[in-house]
Amino acid sequence: MKPAIEARALQVARGGRPVLKGVSLALAPGEALALIGPNAAGKSTLVRALAGLLPPAAGEVLLEGRPLAAWPRAALARRVALVAAEDEAPDRLAVVDRVALGRYPHRGPLARFTGEDHAAVARALRLTQIEHLARRPLGTLSAGERQLAQLARGLAQDPSLLLLDEPAAHLDVRHQLHLFRVLDEVRQQGVAVLAVIHDLQRAAWARRVTLLDEGRIAADGTPAEVIESEAAERAFGLVIRGVPTGEGQERLWRFEERA
Amino acid sequence: MTLAGRRRTALLALAIALPVAFLAALSLGSVPLSPLGVLRSGLCRLGAGGPALPPTSEVIVWSVRLPRVLIAALVGGGLAVVGAALQSLFRNPLADAGLLGVGPGAALGAVLAVNLGWAQTRFLALPASACAGALVSLLLIYALAHAGGRPSLSGLLLTGLAVSALAAAGTSVLLVATEEFRVRTVLFWLAGGLEGRGFEHALLTAAFVLPGCGLLLLLARPLDVLSLGEEEAAALSVPVHAVRLAVFGICALIAGPVTAVAGAVPFVGLMAPHALRSLVGPLNRHLLPAAFAAGALLVVVADLAARSLDARVELPLGSVTAFVGAPYFVLALRGQEGRG
Repeated sequence: MKPAIEARALQVARGGRPVLKGVSLALAPGEALALIGPNAAGKSTLVRALAGLLPPAAGEVLLEGRPLAAWPRAALARRVALVAAEDEAPDRLAVVDRVALGRYPHRGPLARFTGEDHAAVARALRLTQIEHLARRPLGTLSAGERQLAQLARGLAQDPSLLLLDEPAAHLDVRHQLHLFRVLDEVRQQGVAVLAVIHDLQRAAWARRVTLLDEGRIAADGTPAEVIESEAAERAFGLVIRGVPTGEGQERLWRFEERA
Repeated sequence: MTLAGRRRTALLALAIALPVAFLAALSLGSVPLSPLGVLRSGLCRLGAGGPALPPTSEVIVWSVRLPRVLIAALVGGGLAVVGAALQSLFRNPLADAGLLGVGPGAALGAVLAVNLGWAQTRFLALPASACAGALVSLLLIYALAHAGGRPSLSGLLLTGLAVSALAAAGTSVLLVATEEFRVRTVLFWLAGGLEGRGFEHALLTAAFVLPGCGLLLLLARPLDVLSLGEEEAAALSVPVHAVRLAVFGICALIAGPVTAVAGAVPFVGLMAPHALRSLVGPLNRHLLPAAFAAGALLVVVADLAARSLDARVELPLGSVTAFVGAPYFVLALRGQEGRG
């Protein structure tokens, strides 16, 4: 099967400084990947490069086997959705209107909304379980609800690849669990999901974890393989020990600063 | 009340208030006429029969007051739509036509026309020259901002400020060099007002305001997406730079002629969108038409007040909108701070 998205020896510079120094990574449809790494490792840059928002300095990104540069902008936005950590939408905007703006790549500036658009918006609200908030202005929501509204906008795009930059950053534990359950459902529908996750314990949600360090992929595998790797200890400057919980494959991790 | 309910109520209120304000503005003034008589005379002119007013009153209503009321509506509506569009673009409720640098450009053009004596001798020379000044400053801002590649939003703003300062400096120099009896003309124009404006001015304003507002309405959806932030807009396939430049240019093409015809009419572009956004929501397909109606209403009423509050002199229109707008804005901002 063709990968949903593939980076080949990808190099990206920001402000003249090289940030990604040759990243190769492929994600299959229906696969979930948690991207971890210390601050300034290039995680957000990688997410934006995969979304086609930053041009590669070298290497390339292929979406469904076709280079990003060859995709028309609207067609790209119908397949790739990006959900950022910060929500900058106006406070007075109603949740349902915010989600409906996710249909822009499907309808463009002028075409009227069709039944398909309304169905996509309703589906996104249902998946994220914020139907009861649909008429509320964003300014009246909690940070967690706002994040879900932004995710719903991404889902309304009906993407084949969902990119999330620290989606759980502002969420309490209950909202985090809710969010990752939603992402699991989306993945099961065949969407490739790539999420930058700071909390290593939470990163184990994905069956595949990739460690980015200084613009290169330092480890890639199951959560236990990657989080307990020497590469991870080196990247974070920590001693990391895994403890089985006794419940299936689930493990807890203990982190200690290096002496 | 739900947003949809509030939206309907607000639009209904505007749909009633605007014709009432039109009728009041046609009837009232230094020569007060019966609104009923004006209404009948209007029906008569439309060929629906009914008695006309006495000949002098007919002239006052249809040749003196009507163009003035039309200009007031176009000026108010245009400034309000420009304010609403720029506020979406800059994601800041304090953005308005003043950011575009067209005001000082128009002033320079006006002063030049007066200084060279055109304003006294040639038909429409002052507004045409002010309009040209606004457009030249717009082109200058575009050219300078693009000299170093694609400009950022703050780059556009800073260039606008620099060009405005340059135009203001030029205006001061020209004012000093202008004979004193002519300076009066400029001062009256700078204070903003519609005294003595006729159908030709209404036509000049309409030629820019109506197509401009129509174009902005076509851009309502990209503007909505842009208000989510540059990155999200780009990820949703909105051509951010192209839309930004288009909106910037269209706004200047509306604000330039408006300033040229009416002088400075401050706060309309801030007040009307601000008040309407809480009533109809921030989506531009609702906000832009509602803001147009509210801005039109505001300036029609303000102009009526400017010419009828004092029987001896006519107040400058810009002062009337500032007297209302400045306190409104202080209060509105305080309310916003309280909300956090």
